[in-house]
Formats: sequence, C-alpha cells, structure tokens
Amino acid sequence: MRILGLDLGSRQVKLVYMIDGAIALKKAWHTATFYRNFCGPSDKENELGISLEALGIEKADLLVSTGYGRNNTNLKDFLAINELKAHSLGAQFQTGEKDFVLLDVGGQDVKVMRVASGQLTDMNLNDKCAASCGRFLEQMAEILDMPLDEMTSYVAEPVSLSSTCAVFCESELIGKMAEGFSPETLAAGVNASLFKRLEPMLNGFEHEHLWLSGGVAKSTALKKHLESIYPRVTPLLDATYNGAIGCCAYGMTVQTRR
Amino acid sequence: MKKIAISTTLPLEILLATQCEIVDLNNRFVTSPKASEWLSQAERSGFPKSLCAWIKGLYSACMAEKPDLFIAVTEGDCSNTKGLNGILAHQGIPVLSFRYPQDNTPENLESALKQLATDLSVDWADVLEMRKRLENVRLLGIELDRLTFETNQVTGFENHLWLVSFSDFDGNLEAFEEKLTCFIAEAKTRPAMKQTVRLAYIGVPPMTADLYDYVESVGAHVVFNEVQRQFSMPNSLSAKTLAQQYAEYTYPYELDGRIEDIQTALQTRQIDGVIHYTQAFCYRALDDVILKDVLPCPILTIEGDQATSLDGRTKLRLEAFIDMLREEGQ
Repeated sequence: MRILGLDLGSRQVKLVYMIDGAIALKKAWHTATFYRNFCGPSDKENELGISLEALGIEKADLLVSTGYGRNNTNLKDFLAINELKAHSLGAQFQTGEKDFVLLDVGGQDVKVMRVASGQLTDMNLNDKCAASCGRFLEQMAEILDMPLDEMTSYVAEPVSLSSTCAVFCESELIGKMAEGFSPETLAAGVNASLFKRLEPMLNGFEHEHLWLSGGVAKSTALKKHLESIYPRVTPLLDATYNGAIGCCAYGMTVQTRR
Repeated sequence: MKKIAISTTLPLEILLATQCEIVDLNNRFVTSPKASEWLSQAERSGFPKSLCAWIKGLYSACMAEKPDLFIAVTEGDCSNTKGLNGILAHQGIPVLSFRYPQDNTPENLESALKQLATDLSVDWADVLEMRKRLENVRLLGIELDRLTFETNQVTGFENHLWLVSFSDFDGNLEAFEEKLTCFIAEAKTRPAMKQTVRLAYIGVPPMTADLYDYVESVGAHVVFNEVQRQFSMPNSLSAKTLAQQYAEYTYPYELDGRIEDIQTALQTRQIDGVIHYTQAFCYRALDDVILKDVLPCPILTIEGDQATSLDGRTKLRLEAFIDMLREEGQ
C-alpha cells in the first residue's frame, strides 16, 4: 500500500511517501517553488492539479493533503484533512503514544493539541499574529545577522523585549543593539519573548509529557523554557514532517476501513 | 414619521408606543454594503483602531441615518456608548441614555422603564397596549426557535437573522410579522437538516455572519443563538409584568443569568459544543474565562474584529473543533 502525504505549509511544502507503513521518501520545498514547479490548473474550476511524476512518485494508492491551504487549496485527487488531525495522527504514528500534549510551532501558526486515548480532545490555535511563530524567529535572526540555529540556542540573561508585535520588535531589537547589549543576550531575549507569547496558549494543557513539532521544535532555547512548565519536553524525531506523516497515517486508517 | 435609532435592544413596547420608526443601527451597519467604508470613516473621524468595530459602525451608521433621536444603552452594555453619545450630541444629533439597572429587581426595572416612557412622552397605558400587540410576534419568535432545535428545519443563520431583527422588527412591525409568518409556514414543509453536530452560539452576534453557512458546510447545525434569542424576549409571555420581562432579560446584567440560560439550552437542546464569539476590544471577552470554567461542554472561542467574513484561520479552527466533536460523538 503506497500513500502520499502532503503538508502545504506557509513556508514549506513537505512530502512524505509511505510504502506499507514505512517512510520511503521525505522531501520539502519552499512553498512558492512547489506551486510553481509541480502544480497547474486541473480540468475543474478552483482545483489544482499536481504532477506526481515531477515529484518523483511513480505510483500511489491514496493521496492525502493538509496544511494552511486546507480551506483554500483543492488538490485534484487528494483527500484533504485539517492540520490538527494531521498533526495529532502524525505524533501518534511517530511516538506510538495515545495520550499526550503536542505543541506545533510552524512558520505562521501555533497549535496546541491534547490527545487522549488516540482522540483529539482539546486544541488551541494562535490568533492572527506572527509574533509567536517561526517567521518571527527568522526575521529576528536576520536582524541579528546570526544563523537561526545559533540564535535559537541562547537562553541566559535575556534582554527584555516588550513589543507585542513582530514588526515593532525589529525596531526594539535594533534599539537594544544600539544600547550595547551583546548578540547572545539579544538572541536570548528573542527566545524568551517567543516563549512568553506561547505560554498563555498552554493554559489548560497540563501534562506529564509535551511533544514538539513544526520547524520551531528545533529551538533548544524553546525546549529549555518549556521545561520550566512541563516535566518532560521532547521534539518529535521528524518534527518538520509530522503533518505529512499524519496524512499518511490517516491514509492508512482509510485503507483499513475500505 | 420620526425616526429613533438605537444602540442595542431597548424596551420596544415603549419605543413603538411613540409611533416612530425604530432603527437598530447594528443591523443597519452590519448588513450594509458600506460596512467597511463606514469603519474607515469612523477611524478618519478619530475613532481609535483599538476600539470595538461595532461602536465605529454605530457612529457612521448614525451619521448616515441622521435620526431624530439616538438612544444608547449606557449601562448594561458597553460603556463606549457613553463616549459615542457625547460625540453624536456634539455632531448635533439629539441623544438619550437608557440604563438597565445593574441590580435588576422588577422594582428597579419598573422605575427605569417609566423614566424612559416619560423621556419619550409616552402614556403608560399605550405601552401596555403595545405589549399586548407584540404577543403574536413574540410567539412567532418562539416557534421559529423551536423549528431550529426541535425539528431542525430552520438553519442557524435563519434563526440568527430573524431573532436579531427582533430588536427593531426591521423598522416595520406589520411587515415583519407577515414575513415571519410566511417564513415559518414554508420552513415547516422542509426536510430536517442532516448535520449531526449540534452547536450553541453564545456571545454578541457576529460581525461575520458567514460563520453559520461555514459550520453547516462542515457538518454542524447551530441550534441555539444565545443573545439573539434574548433579543426576541422569549420570556415575554410568561413574565407577569413588563418590568419582570426586562428584569429577566439576561444580556445587560451579570453573567449568572446568562450562564443559567445557556446551561438550560445545553441540556434541552442536546448540544455537543459551544462557539463563544467575542468582539476584539470588548470587555465581554473577559466572560470567556468564567464560561470556559463553568459550562460542561467543549468551547471554542473565536474573536472577530472588522472583517465581515471569516478568515482562513478561524475556518480551520471551526472545522477542527467540529471534527473533534463529531469524533467524540461516535
């Protein structure tokens, strides 16, 4: 059984191809590149066709998609599921656990999910604000002229950043640079600021074990901050591909029902 | 005919006894094709960005309508209406304040209602006669609501639109009554809706009325519109006096009355989940803290600001919430 899962994110499109329940292929593209190179109009209105051949996929029994475009993008022959379902199924597939809290921090959105007995039972999503997401970190790393991986590793002596807006945070950060704060403490300030915005979203999602997914799961600083409120915090092995893995996991349940 | 514009539901028995045309500016604003333009117009006039869109809409709608009198509820609703009244008076529009007494005993209501009648030079006997006159239309409201949650023949949006219109009867009581009678007759011939997830909508009416069609498209039926139903005064026939009727009206007072009303509906209407709508910059968003704590079913809180249609994020949240409720129910 061959299943193709696609997670159409705001920054990247992630593909996972499973053969008989095992991951055979993983690929990611910049979102615009993906739409430009692999998509085109289909025979139906408001539907987008995808060339599987160009993606390097020979054959798939089932195509499942999720992502930011779930409500906007109609992919020909794809079964669309919502992101929360995809992520909760992906985490179950990856961890083998049925009871946990998952925090997914992507390029432009944040999701918190509680899974109990394998069912999604509660969730929280950020409002229309990028100050708690990956895009914010990217922007700040650019301002600090520091690699993203390095910036997201600093925790100690954070400079206090008070802006509630990602755009205004830029000028605040530049102001602090001019005041002579070190790049390390500025980076720690950015990480603390991200955590400060995420923390209220985790209210009511207490658990022994928090799993992390999404691009921001790579941030070691965020992990350390989260450890102040969760006994155990673990990034998923395939944090970036979790949504696409969830699509394949969903596909497997559909196949079983058939 | 003189025109009285209002900022929210007021005792219509008194207002209609003036024989004036009554216009709820909220309805005028939110259904206007100029809604976005009106918001910008208010901001150009100096209304801050960080102010509830409804207040801005009321302002511009009032400037466009140029009523003979604007009555704002300045207690029991948002206190921004006090500032709004000041600005409108400054622009030359005659204004009046009505205060729902926060200690909502029938005695206090009696005195507030009589004061309003005096302010509008209305005879109390005419008010009581108008109350009688409204019995039929209030009954129609109850029937419309029943067809929404009992027989599932009326959609959540239709329920919302009709009930929210009870605040001014679309400016024409007779025509409204006739249209609603016809609507109910037609609705009774429909097949029952097939949506399996039953939702309550609580909080102020939405800026984004497409919410109803959207939740329906993903398999849910809104069987309870909390505040809109309150606007229709479903208790008017059981309340012995007009004062009692407005003392039992839940919207203007402390949260307890609303909670009781919502809890009853959750039970009697077999509701699976609740959508709590809050308006950006509105004090009522604070109610969410308590509602989430006391209501015995899953609640999704969504916030609206200026947009009059749902954005992608809110759609995703609604869809995931409904998906979750459906799976819980299976």
